[in-house]
Amino acid sequence: MATSICRTLKYLQPTICLNIKLPQPVFVPIRTKKRYFIPPAVNVKQKSQSEQETKARAAGVVVRQQYIERAINISCTAGIFDPYIPPEGDARLSTLSKEGLKQRTEQLRQSAASQLAFRKIKDHDPEFSTKEFPALAQQIFIDAHAALTQFNKEKLHSLVTERCYPEMVRGNRYKTLRWRFIESLEPPRVVHARCPDMISKGNLYGQVTLRVHSRQTLAIYDRFGRLMLGDEDEPRDVLEYLVLERHLVNPYGRWRLHGKIVPAWAPPKDPIIKTVIIPGPTLKPEEAFEDLHYQVPKPKAVQWYK
Amino acid sequence: MAASVVTWAGLAAFGRACGSIRSRLLGSSSTLSQVSCLHTSTELNSKHWERKNLVVYPPQQKDELRRPAEIYHCRRQIKYSKDKMWYLAKLIRGMTIDQALTQLEFNDKKGAKIIKEVILEAQDMAVRNHNVEYKSNLYIAESFSGKGKYLKRIRYHGRGMFGIMDKVHCHYFVKLVEGVPPKVEQKTGFDQAKEYVEQLRNRTIIHSL
Repeated sequence: MATSICRTLKYLQPTICLNIKLPQPVFVPIRTKKRYFIPPAVNVKQKSQSEQETKARAAGVVVRQQYIERAINISCTAGIFDPYIPPEGDARLSTLSKEGLKQRTEQLRQSAASQLAFRKIKDHDPEFSTKEFPALAQQIFIDAHAALTQFNKEKLHSLVTERCYPEMVRGNRYKTLRWRFIESLEPPRVVHARCPDMISKGNLYGQVTLRVHSRQTLAIYDRFGRLMLGDEDEPRDVLEYLVLERHLVNPYGRWRLHGKIVPAWAPPKDPIIKTVIIPGPTLKPEEAFEDLHYQVPKPKAVQWYK
Repeated sequence: MAASVVTWAGLAAFGRACGSIRSRLLGSSSTLSQVSCLHTSTELNSKHWERKNLVVYPPQQKDELRRPAEIYHCRRQIKYSKDKMWYLAKLIRGMTIDQALTQLEFNDKKGAKIIKEVILEAQDMAVRNHNVEYKSNLYIAESFSGKGKYLKRIRYHGRGMFGIMDKVHCHYFVKLVEGVPPKVEQKTGFDQAKEYVEQLRNRTIIHSL
């Protein structure tokens, strides 16, 4: 390109040919155009922070004030308060162990607080009922996971709280998920409820735990379409404890999935299809790995929340 | 000459108008560049080679061949010449990843250390993010260097003359693929000669008796 922008703009004329002969534009070279090039000078001096600031202020350069902010989300709580401890042997052959008895006594204590919580929820939300809520909640659960498969962000945000969303979505962006809810083996049941209030005394959030026993299929494919986990044709029986939350004081609040409780006695998950290296102990030059008899540490069986 | 100048300037103005529309609407949706049929430039901070890692393939059927994983990685603005970097890039093309790393470790060039770091980063990324099972089961499918942005300085000559000195920078790109490297068939001189003779014999004379 021999011509430059500044030169061409000088004689930009509209060319609408209407059988009128306009005079041809004249090319006038610009007298004051720079025809040489001097590269920018290199500063050899090492300037300290204060010197640089004084120089910048003298030159008239204004640096915008940096706001170091951290966003707080008030539409959901940060965790599950006073969580439900699922009794051991739930949905299994009941073998009364010592831990099972301890959990039963704790359950009796907890049920009183749950009744209080239900009353508080009904104060704020008169349409809430322990009989109808499970069906609604199961539908929310199914819709949320369907939206996760399609990765429909807006719908997922309306069905799932901001605390649960990153846990559902993390690592899944470049993976394909195939999930199917086949049937519910037992009707879902509300087992637990709490109404914590955050920061100020009247700011109530309702958290309700639901026990769901269902049959589902899950298959996760990685970026290249290869199967990472699960099987699309093999349905599995799943016992889950879902926690749904709603900001009761907010008139536009909705019941949304807040998290899941994984009990301490849950069976271990299936391993993924590929082999993974577990980092082992660092060896000294004279040691050999076989002589160490290294035992891979097994994680403690603790109740955790997804 | 005048007509071509006007249309080129008209296109430039149109492009600027496009840019202003795009910048106004970009706040609402970041996918405008994919939706609109106008040619718009890519967004800031998204270069083509890095974006190749974001392609998602649909799930494979059970009877299809397992698709090998492809990992794209690059390093930008390396303070080295692109021509000097080319020799190292050509050296490791087609090697397995372990072989490439050994060759680079014992190579005396400055670029060898940089390329080794890039390949180790790519291997780590492959195992962590791209579901590659064995970190040694990778080979270098593509490896090349490109020109980066040069800084210009003055080089002083005698008699008040000066030259503009370029401070060269380069980019280095590598693509790792899972699996065994494909065997390149070595053609001997005898094979090439045989092919040449066959070509000569296959010639036909058209429109002849």
